[in-house]
Amino acid sequence: MASSGSGYDLSAATFSPDGRIFQVEYAGKAVENAGTVIGIHAKDGVVLGVAKPLYHKMIVPTTASYKRIHTVDVHAGVATTGFLPDARVLVGRAQEEAADWQEHYGSKVPPHVLADRLGHYVHYFTLHGALRPFGASCVLGGYDVDTKECGLYMLEPNGAAYKYYGVATGKGKQVAKTELEKLNLHKQDAESSMDVATAVKNVAKILILLHKENKDSDGKPMELELSWICEASKWKHAPIPKDVLTAAKEWANEQLEEEDEDDEEEEEAMEEG
Amino acid sequence: MSEFTRPMEGATEIPPAGFNFENVSRNARLMEAWTNAKEQAEAMRKHHAQHGMDVAPMMAGGGYPNHMPLAKKTGTTIAGIVFKGGVVLGADTRATNGDEVAEKNCRKIHYVADNMYCCGAGTAADTDQTTALVASQLELLRMDLHLPHATSLRMKTAVTRISRLLFRYQGHVSAALILGGVDKAEGAQLYSIHPHGSSMRFAYTAMGSGSLAAISVLESAWEPDMEEADAVTLVQRAITAGIFNDLGSGSNCDICVIKNDGAVDYQRPSLTPNNTAPFRAAITRSSRMDMKPGTTPILDSKFVPHKGATLADVTVTEMEVS
Amino acid sequence: MMSASHSSMVNPMSSNPYGLKEGEVSTGTTILAMPFDGGVMLGADTRTSMGSYATSRSTDKITFLSDHIFCLRSGSAADTQAISDIVKHYLSHLTIETGREPLVKTAAHLMKNIVYSNKDSLSAGVIIAGWDPVEGGQVFNVVQGGSCLKQSFALGGSGSLFIYGLMDSEFKEGMTQDEARALVKKAISHAMARDGSSGGMVRTMTVTAEGNKRDVTPGNELPFGPVF
Repeated sequence: MASSGSGYDLSAATFSPDGRIFQVEYAGKAVENAGTVIGIHAKDGVVLGVAKPLYHKMIVPTTASYKRIHTVDVHAGVATTGFLPDARVLVGRAQEEAADWQEHYGSKVPPHVLADRLGHYVHYFTLHGALRPFGASCVLGGYDVDTKECGLYMLEPNGAAYKYYGVATGKGKQVAKTELEKLNLHKQDAESSMDVATAVKNVAKILILLHKENKDSDGKPMELELSWICEASKWKHAPIPKDVLTAAKEWANEQLEEEDEDDEEEEEAMEEG
Repeated sequence: MSEFTRPMEGATEIPPAGFNFENVSRNARLMEAWTNAKEQAEAMRKHHAQHGMDVAPMMAGGGYPNHMPLAKKTGTTIAGIVFKGGVVLGADTRATNGDEVAEKNCRKIHYVADNMYCCGAGTAADTDQTTALVASQLELLRMDLHLPHATSLRMKTAVTRISRLLFRYQGHVSAALILGGVDKAEGAQLYSIHPHGSSMRFAYTAMGSGSLAAISVLESAWEPDMEEADAVTLVQRAITAGIFNDLGSGSNCDICVIKNDGAVDYQRPSLTPNNTAPFRAAITRSSRMDMKPGTTPILDSKFVPHKGATLADVTVTEMEVS
Repeated sequence: MMSASHSSMVNPMSSNPYGLKEGEVSTGTTILAMPFDGGVMLGADTRTSMGSYATSRSTDKITFLSDHIFCLRSGSAADTQAISDIVKHYLSHLTIETGREPLVKTAAHLMKNIVYSNKDSLSAGVIIAGWDPVEGGQVFNVVQGGSCLKQSFALGGSGSLFIYGLMDSEFKEGMTQDEARALVKKAISHAMARDGSSGGMVRTMTVTAEGNKRDVTPGNELPFGPVF
């Protein structure tokens, strides 16, 4: 890397002459090499999803010990990626912020405030030479109890906390983003037409697609962890029920097979043509 | 710990700034001890009397005082009104110490800022210190904000500073204040601030032990949009009512007029209804009471020069400067 | 059962119902707030006293907290002014951080926390009333000692004792704005007639989504009183 050896990458407190902070960029790399996280803001809720490669045969594939989606408060949850111990610190902070808010104000923290506060927290770690930035990123989904609206945010290692219609981060973020854009979530009318049920299927589909496309992971075991906030979950952050998840996976696999066949046909047609 | 925080050896310790209440509990214990001692002395006196002994040399109560030395409280009449052209503040000038008049011409209308003055009742030291402290804060604020005109300083700021200070001391700082002045934001304003830190805005108000006398004058004659001369006369009447009807108030009447353009007319004294000089002058005494020079004869006189060092005995050496 | 007045400092029948320190200014008071169809109505007398002397006869006890939330103060004037300033400060920060109007329950929660954690040094009985887009017009009573009660209507101050019966008999859910204002004025006038430390004028404040409206009724135009 061009930056290494220059001396400008030794601390997050130092800018390079062209105005970059390499330590923060390296933290971003930690996220780019880790599992994919996807979030969709549907018209009637939010969906969070992660694909968890089971690194070792002997890992017990349950969500309890190897959790990547955490509940922050009844109405908010985060899906994490990157250096997981770092992510767990972020989750802890988010839980603390939510609890403190309730203690102080006697109401639920609005998702945009929670995202903003986490952003401030993460950013603080990019200011001091004695601190290491977070090698983790997280996607925050929340329900605003006062306005009865959902919100989806992504926190980056540099402290940015933007709001999204649909977002992906981690190893497969490029492919996932292209797939998300195809869903036209960002077009107002289209956004209002996608419901959570469809969003769940699409999150599953994209995650499975990424797993299959990756030469390193194809064929190896993988677990999908999905959660949502919607009417069906009584506007609480909850794991997606097993039957819904199974149905989504089946639908995703069928879709992907169909698309494969279509592609093959197209290729054949091209060759013939 | 940084080296900067280590106290220098041998340096005199600077006492902490602000009000100090460290003697409050000591004084309470002292009072308790005195009360006990007094009771004992009284019992002893009774015992002696019962057994026919001489009690004349024994003081009643053993000579212990009945109370701690008290701070000087200004039994006071202060008042203020809003008129068409600004604000008029008024105050009497008596300071008392118990039943005694401690000062016949004391200043009770304090400077707070060029556009604000403040009448104080309560403990003289507390009203002096409180207004001086806030005056300093406001001047620093004015310089910090680069305000060209004094009227850019807000009355609201002064009221907030004062009432926060008084609230912090929970009524132990006995300052009952009437703050009057003008600012660009809200024009002429008048506030009363009580020792516990509550504040209220008024068109006319009075405070201090003579406030009942003063307020009855204001209640009967105040009206909106008065002319300056009428307003000053009204406040003079209110303060005079306090001076003559309240034992804690007396002597002269000071007046401070703050006009809408920020101009101040501080009249001290504005009225001297208790000027005794003419009465003293009117007393005619027999010329035989006068002592003429030479009444006491000089029998002898002698001059003895001082034996101490004189300048001529001192050798002055030039200071080493290179 | 929640008990509002277990604090030994409070004895409404004594001549010093708030346990004030000597020389402390009190809003010996009648305050009253009730929701109506579309908002909330607040009302208060205007007397402020120090012992038997009325320090002010035109006090405004309806105190601004945020655009749609107000509080009614009773007890020590210094204490209630200080704590409502603090709550006002918190709410303005909250408004900036969240980008929306604060909830009435949040204002009450903040007030309760302050009153409770300083219960030994405060004499304050505060009614928080206001409107928010989530729950509409609401009324909370933060009493001496620091408990916070959501009520269908709230009474406070030394004069409230005289009008509980009146309010119990005349208050109805879903009144119109005019009915609510008339009842508030009537109730406070009755309290002022019987309570020595309530008096002066009746101030009311109407808080609705559309905005707030103040109203003052002079002492000689009250719907009731004085009694001789």
